[in-house]
Order: sequence, then C-alpha cells, then structure tokens
Amino acid sequence: MEKVIIIRYAELFLKGKNRGYFERAFSNNIEKALQGISHELIKTSGRYLVENFDVEETEKIVSRLKKVFGIHTMSIALRVSSSMADIAEAAKSISRKKGRFKVETHRADKKFPMHSVEVSAEIGGLLLETYRGLSVDIHEPEFTVYVDIRENGTTLVFSEFFEGPNGMPVGTAGRGLLLISGGIDSPVAGHMIAKRGMKVDCLHFHSYPYTNMQAKEKVVDLAKTLASYEGGLNLYIVSVTKIQEAIHEHCAEDLMVTLLRRFMFRIAERLAKNTSHQCLITGESLGQVASQTIEGMTSSNSVVQDLPILRPLVGFDKNEIIERSVAMGAYEISILPYEDCCTVFLPKYPAIRPKMNYILEEEAKLDVDGLIKEAFETIEKIEIK
Amino acid sequence: MIYMDNAATTRPDPDALRRAEIYLTEKYFNPSGLYREGFELNKELDSARKNILSCIADEEIFDLIFTSCGTESDNTAVFNFGRRGNIVTTAGEHSAIISTVNEQKNRGVEVRIAPLNGDSTVNIEALLDLIDEKTSLVSVIHVNNETGAINDVNEIARLAKERNPRIIFHTDGVQSFGKIPFRMQKHIDLYSLSAHKIGGLKGIGALIFKKKLLLRPFIFGGGQEKGRRSGTENVFGIKTLEYACEKKFKNLKADGERLVGYKDLMERELNPSIFRVISPKNSSPYILCLSASKCRGEILLHMADDEGLVIGTGSACSSNSKTRYSRVILASGYDEATADTVIRISFSPETTREEVEEAVKILNRSAKKLADKMV
Repeated sequence: MEKVIIIRYAELFLKGKNRGYFERAFSNNIEKALQGISHELIKTSGRYLVENFDVEETEKIVSRLKKVFGIHTMSIALRVSSSMADIAEAAKSISRKKGRFKVETHRADKKFPMHSVEVSAEIGGLLLETYRGLSVDIHEPEFTVYVDIRENGTTLVFSEFFEGPNGMPVGTAGRGLLLISGGIDSPVAGHMIAKRGMKVDCLHFHSYPYTNMQAKEKVVDLAKTLASYEGGLNLYIVSVTKIQEAIHEHCAEDLMVTLLRRFMFRIAERLAKNTSHQCLITGESLGQVASQTIEGMTSSNSVVQDLPILRPLVGFDKNEIIERSVAMGAYEISILPYEDCCTVFLPKYPAIRPKMNYILEEEAKLDVDGLIKEAFETIEKIEIK
Repeated sequence: MIYMDNAATTRPDPDALRRAEIYLTEKYFNPSGLYREGFELNKELDSARKNILSCIADEEIFDLIFTSCGTESDNTAVFNFGRRGNIVTTAGEHSAIISTVNEQKNRGVEVRIAPLNGDSTVNIEALLDLIDEKTSLVSVIHVNNETGAINDVNEIARLAKERNPRIIFHTDGVQSFGKIPFRMQKHIDLYSLSAHKIGGLKGIGALIFKKKLLLRPFIFGGGQEKGRRSGTENVFGIKTLEYACEKKFKNLKADGERLVGYKDLMERELNPSIFRVISPKNSSPYILCLSASKCRGEILLHMADDEGLVIGTGSACSSNSKTRYSRVILASGYDEATADTVIRISFSPETTREEVEEAVKILNRSAKKLADKMV
C-alpha cells in the first residue's frame, strides 16, 4: 500500500493539437513547485500522479500544489494492487469509523472481473462489517470512499477531493507586466491574469524619501505572494520622486495623479518592450478612486502606444476584490498601513474627469523624456524565486 | 553617521561590553547551577541587582527583578496590580502601558486616562480627580519618550496616595533612569527601567518594587528571581546594565548639563522660520522634540538619513490615521497638521558638540529643501 497524490487538470483537456505544449508547461510548473521535495511525477491517462515521496511531506506537497494553476482537483490516495483483498484493506484504512457513507467505483480497466456496482457493494459491505458506526446513504453521504481501478493492475483508493486553483499553466499565455502598488487590487489583478496562463512580472513605483522603506518592503512581500503562484517572478522598482516633484512644481495641482499615471504608463511600456512583455496589467476598477474614471483611463491609455492594457478588475466591486485578495493570501500584507504613494503631494480635489486638452497643456510644461530617462536610471530589479 | 535617536536605543557602551565580556567567554555558567561556579555567578547577579537598585532606591525598602525589557516590566506591573476596580493612567504613556491597560479593559477592568497639559506633562488635578476608592493601580510615566516632559512622580504619587492610600503607584522610568537625577521615595511602589536606553544591551530590563508587595509571576518555570520571573538569567546583559549604570550615575550631572547646552545650541541655531520646539522648558536634557513647519516628520527623517543624520519621528507615513500621528502630541493639544511635522532628536552622553553642530546644518538644509518643495 503506497501513498500517492492524484492531480487532475482543469481546462487542458480542451486543448487539441497543441495539448502536448500545455502538458509540458503544466508538468514543468508542478516540478518547479515541488522543488526540494524528493518525489516522482508520473503522467497517466488524464491525470498526473506524485509518487515515491516521504509521507511526512504530504501536507507540504498538497499545499504547494494548491498554487499551481491548471490543477483542477487533487486527492491523497492509497495505491494497491487490483485485488479485492488489497482494495478492501485500503478502503478500511481510509474510512471513517462512523457516519453515513457510500462507495463509488470507477473501472478504467474493463477487464477487471467485477462491475463497478459490484465492487462498490462488496467494499461497502466489508466496511459495514468492520465498523459498526457506519451506515450506507448513497444520496446524502457524509463521506465517500472512491475506488479507481486503473488499467495497469493497480487501484487508487481515496476519500477526498482538494480543490486546485484551476486556470491554465503559467507560461502558456505570454508575458505581462503588472503595475503593482501596495494596495489590495493590483496583486489580485496579477493573480487573475497569471491564472489564465500568463507569466506576470511586476513593476512598482516608489517615491522615497516621501514614502518609506517599509512601503517598498511591503510590495516585495506582495510580489512574493504572487510569485508563489508563478514559480518566481521579476519585480522592477522605479523611483518617481523627481517626476512628482516636477509635476508639483510646474503643473496644476488637480492633475498630479493624472499626470503621474501617464508617466507611470510610459515607463511601464518602455520597460515592457525592453523585457519582452506583451501587455501591461493594472488593478484599476472603474470608479473606485478619482483616477479610475473612464476619462482617467483614457488619459493613461493615450500614452501607451503599442501594448494592450489588461484591467481584469475593471467591473469588480471592492468586496469582490477583497474576497479574492484574502483567497490568494495577499490581503494581510495589503492592509499594512504603509503608504506606497506619497500623499503630501496629493491634491485636495483631484481632477475626476480631466479634459485631454487641459492634460496636454499642463504636461507640455514638463521635460517628459528627460524625466523618464532619469527615472529609468533608478531602476532596480529584484528576482523573486 | 551621526546618531541622534538615542531615546529609541543607544549604542552599547564599549566599556560595559568589554567588562562584561568575561560573562560570555569564561563565566558562562547557569547561575542556578549547584556547582561552585554557578553559585558564585548567582552571588554576582545579586550584587549587580543591588548596585543597580541602589542608584535610585533604598535597598531596605525596595527590591528588583530582571526582565527582558521595559515593556515586560510595565506588563508585570499592570497585570499584577491593575486587576480590579479601575486603573488610572495618563494620555502621555508609552504604548507598553497603554496597550496593556487596554487589555485589562477588555478583561473588565475600568481604565481612566488623565489628560495632559500643553507641555505634555500630566494634568495632576485631573489625574487626582480620577482616583477613587476603587482605584487599584495608578501609572504615570516619569519622562515622556516623545517630548522629554518630566512628571514629578514622587509628588504625584504622594498626592495620589492622599486620595487613596491603598493604590499601587507605578512609574515607567525607561527614559529617566540613568538620565535625570532622581530617587524613589516611599510613595512609589513600582518602577520600570530598560538597559538599552543607557548603553546596556537590548533584551534586559528591570522592575523595581516594594519588598512588601506580593509580585506574582506571569512567566513560570525554573523559579529564578525568587519565583517572580522564571527563565535562565541573561548574565551578560545584566552585567552590561550594571556597568552602564555605574558610568551613567557617576556622570549624571555633568552629562545632563552638557546635553542641556546642546539642546540650547540646537534651539538657537535651527532655522526659526521652520522649526518650533515642542519639548517643554525643563524637560529631559536627552530629548528635543521639534515641529518642522510644512515638513512631514518622516520625510525629513529620510532626507536627514540620506545626509548621514539619524533621528526619530513622532509621525509616520501611514495610511492608518490611528497610527499616523503621535498620540502624545495630539494629547498635548497640537493639531494633526502639527503632529504630522514632529521629529525627535535624542542625545546620549556620547553625543559631541561637533555632531550637534553638523546635525543643525543637516536639519536646516533638509528642512529648507523640503519646505521649498511643499510650497
């Protein structure tokens, strides 16, 4: 009797001719997630099996796999030879001692001498004899013993399905650059896009000495959280201090955020092109703050020349975003009170619907290229494993 | 680097470290050991206890237990003696007291907070009015850690006991011990202190208490400190405290006078169109609290840091309004705009006149630069 972990994948089965490509990326990502834990990953029909691992590591393996996009569900199973005696033994060892239950059998090996229903009945009967506290309830069982008779003469017996993160294997849908702040939204946006298979790297803007080192460290921690779903990522950090100062000095106060965001998008696009990212990703949600109006987004979009900007949260309520943030494990970090953007320069009344003419007029007062060049000189790259 | 955040922590005194080194390298025994070496070490600990205690208190009336820090000493005081009725304390306390009494509040003890005067000393009249027959503990900070304001705790304790002789009076002396001339008189029951504010190591504190008080432990184990605080003693740390004490108390007056001179120099030389002194007259010579007009404290701190001057601040770049501004500054009657601009310069006897002069230049330069940008 050997412990194995069954991995069932999500949408991969939809893929046709390029299925092999997706499967290779998927298994590579699993291997990456399990780095440092001795194991073997075996592909069988329609699923993967993790085997030959130290049973003490089971919990760690499952918890790491819960972050590998593409996994639909997992089960911790006992693998035995396909003899009724061995199957019964395995079923007994994983069964609860009391409660309502049923046995569900799946028979991939059509040569197996008994039908699925017969196997379920016999194993169920044995369990009833063994544990007096059990009763059968096939409609509303409290737990189910699953018997999966495979074609290779082995059978997997298990009782639970653990939900995986679903989605597509990271790396199968191109590369994107996420504009990450220290807030709740952007890590969620990155998580959603990574879930669709995109390799997401991060770009953060800071304005030391107007913001502190803790705020930057918080972003590193958020990037680490996102990285744990991607098998690592690159975090780029750029100082926009000089840009904020220049806007403050030369331009209308109510456009501080609008103009600053246009700089951020310009820097992001230029960096993305240098680093072969194919799109920008932001955590903007329509109407959430003054800069996230359609006018604000139009103003930002207009400085990005070639790349699409993905805004996966655009139609989400804050509560929905918070739920996702909690689920991905970023919320506790996001709510640390360090400001990621300097508030001393923030206008009391920011322009909510800035007109393009007005923006361009004010922006013309600045040496845009010079400031961007200067900002690029501050770039710092942190590789998060 | 010019270090002027000594109210946060001091550089460990090199002499104290050198003298105490033998307790790491040779006398590393467990003081509870039954062999001769352990026994002798235990006696040395007791002599350290007496030496430290005698700096500010009468050994016949008071005793001292070693703790891990000032915060643990404060916690020990509150959890021992603020368990019923009400606790009276002040709006000028360190969070080691405020958070602990709030915990007692959650457990059903009433907490009464006395307001501060404009100079951040406690309003004594108001404090006394809060004391009644149900008051179990009164805790008043000796020297405020942000402004350096000094409360006359001997006198306050006397007046408090006039209101209710049964109260236990505690004072947090973390910023005063070894810094200002002081002796505990009979009305004070408990006094917290910390080693790393006077050149000792982090990880060592002490609670001085009246011998007649029954001090219950909240750390149980091997029965060290006569069962009042278990855990193998940090002999090296304790010895650094003892040696630092020896030096500090020997030079207390001279150090104080020199530092008052530095404070005056700073007050004189800092740009008056930007800086305003928050620390009251006659405050601790070790702390100078300032408001820098139009300059957010933390930004000024970063700019000074970049120029090689390390200072403290009363405000933080925090999006949480509860943690953004200093409680004490607001409680002293300043508005949030002022609280946002507070910085704290804190000296040690190691601070030199040249450093103070250089610090003034850096502060004036940084603040001017920042204030100009804020226009």
